[in-house]
Amino acid sequence: MKEILKFNDVSYFYQTKKDEIFALDKISFSVLEEDFVSIVGPSGCGKTTILSLIAGLLKPSSGKVILDGSEKIDTKKIGYMFQRDMLFDWRSVWKNITLGIELQKPDDKERKLQLADELLKKYSLYNFKNKKPRELSGGMRQRVALIRTLVMEPKLLLLDEPFSALDFQTRLTLCDDVYDILKSEKKTAILVTHDISEAISMSNKIIVLSSRPAKVKDEIKLNLSGETPLKKRDDSSFRGYFDLIWRELTNEEENK
Amino acid sequence: MKKKINNFSLSHQKYVKKLKKDKFLVIFFRIFILVAFLGLWELLTHFKILDPFFVSSPSRIIAQLGELISAGTLFHHARVTLYETLIGFLIATVLGYLIAVGLWWNEKVRKIFEPYIVVLNSLPKIALGPVIILWVGSGTNAIVLMCVLICIVITTMSMLSAFIAVDEGKILLLKSMHANKFQILWKLVLPATMPDFISVLKINVGMSWVGSIMGEYLTSRAGLGYLIVYGGQIFKIDLVMSATFVLCILAFAMYYLVSLLERRYKK
Repeated sequence: MKEILKFNDVSYFYQTKKDEIFALDKISFSVLEEDFVSIVGPSGCGKTTILSLIAGLLKPSSGKVILDGSEKIDTKKIGYMFQRDMLFDWRSVWKNITLGIELQKPDDKERKLQLADELLKKYSLYNFKNKKPRELSGGMRQRVALIRTLVMEPKLLLLDEPFSALDFQTRLTLCDDVYDILKSEKKTAILVTHDISEAISMSNKIIVLSSRPAKVKDEIKLNLSGETPLKKRDDSSFRGYFDLIWRELTNEEENK
Repeated sequence: MKKKINNFSLSHQKYVKKLKKDKFLVIFFRIFILVAFLGLWELLTHFKILDPFFVSSPSRIIAQLGELISAGTLFHHARVTLYETLIGFLIATVLGYLIAVGLWWNEKVRKIFEPYIVVLNSLPKIALGPVIILWVGSGTNAIVLMCVLICIVITTMSMLSAFIAVDEGKILLLKSMHANKFQILWKLVLPATMPDFISVLKINVGMSWVGSIMGEYLTSRAGLGYLIVYGGQIFKIDLVMSATFVLCILAFAMYYLVSLLERRYKK
């Protein structure tokens, strides 16, 4: 598989009036095509900073972020999904998912509109096409947000705790849905989460970060059997991975 | 309709009945208070318990209005004031809104102007009356300018704080979608603050009447504010009350139009 993203000794400092905060310390890792990589770490360790660097919203203080073979980050290759769905209340579901097309006016507009239509049908939201977001449930809203991201056909999806605002049951079902959608669309994704089980059940690689300044503490490759994240939780090695990551994270908390 | 209600449980029927009863009570008391007030006013003045020279009375107001209408002056005065108010309202709303957009656009400019806006907001605009007359002359111009001054600062301040309060996360989303600043303004900031804009409109309806009447107190030869001042000077309280009554109706009509706009937007 081709390498789509590479972090090469990336450090990052936040500047504030009083202080300079050392957020990332020489982070290196790489993501291959169709990978599902999760980043876990103690809270406030700079997980979201990594996503912002990939999305080109921040520039590294030193080191290189290489996206699709280029250091100059093309935001069009990135799809960013946030913790909250960020749907615009005054726009219908359809108008929300075509927002990116409206903004970027791509050459293949017609094809993308058709894709939007197909995705709505495929993920059973077509009947809600002309509804306003407030008429939808939390899980449906996050699915709409995912479709809004997919419509732009990003090469790499960034998921910033997209399930954390949902109740437990919706969360598990939505995990399955998102996993299914990403696999069938053959997408590469990076998930930031503080939920260890979620990370294990969804990814094929987990990057464990230390507390601030974040270093890569461990990189775990996983191979769990099971079609869906929910079924993967039944795999016999699930517990072992969980304990391993748990220990690494609790060590960090104690060392603080 | 009756059949539909029968399909529901007894407790639901009771609930609906109670809702209807409550609504009836509210409307009943609204009308009752108005009728009682007017009736009491009329009776007290009729039996000379209150002196109609000082407090006027409903029947005298009606007579006065009839007189003004048959003389053809009522519509003239009402039109003058309405014109001043509407022009002032429009200029202040549009200009205030545009200034707010400009200040949102450029943070440095916003910071520079912040203290000036605060001072302008707390300054009683009526204090500028003599200056206004000196600069633009007495008459309509001065009145409209007074109206604009009263509405514009509050428009700018309210809209600006609404613009700034727009969800950072949504701005980040648009940025991650490669949106430029104009697109962030057009696709997010302006539509997201529509509800705030409507409440600004509602405030401005009230404020613009304050502005035009105050302007007419200051300098005028016609208008409802002129009638009120004139009536006061010649101790003709009927005239004052009649003009105030017309003012009430016009202001209410304008407020109603804005609330229609609100309802249409909410759909």
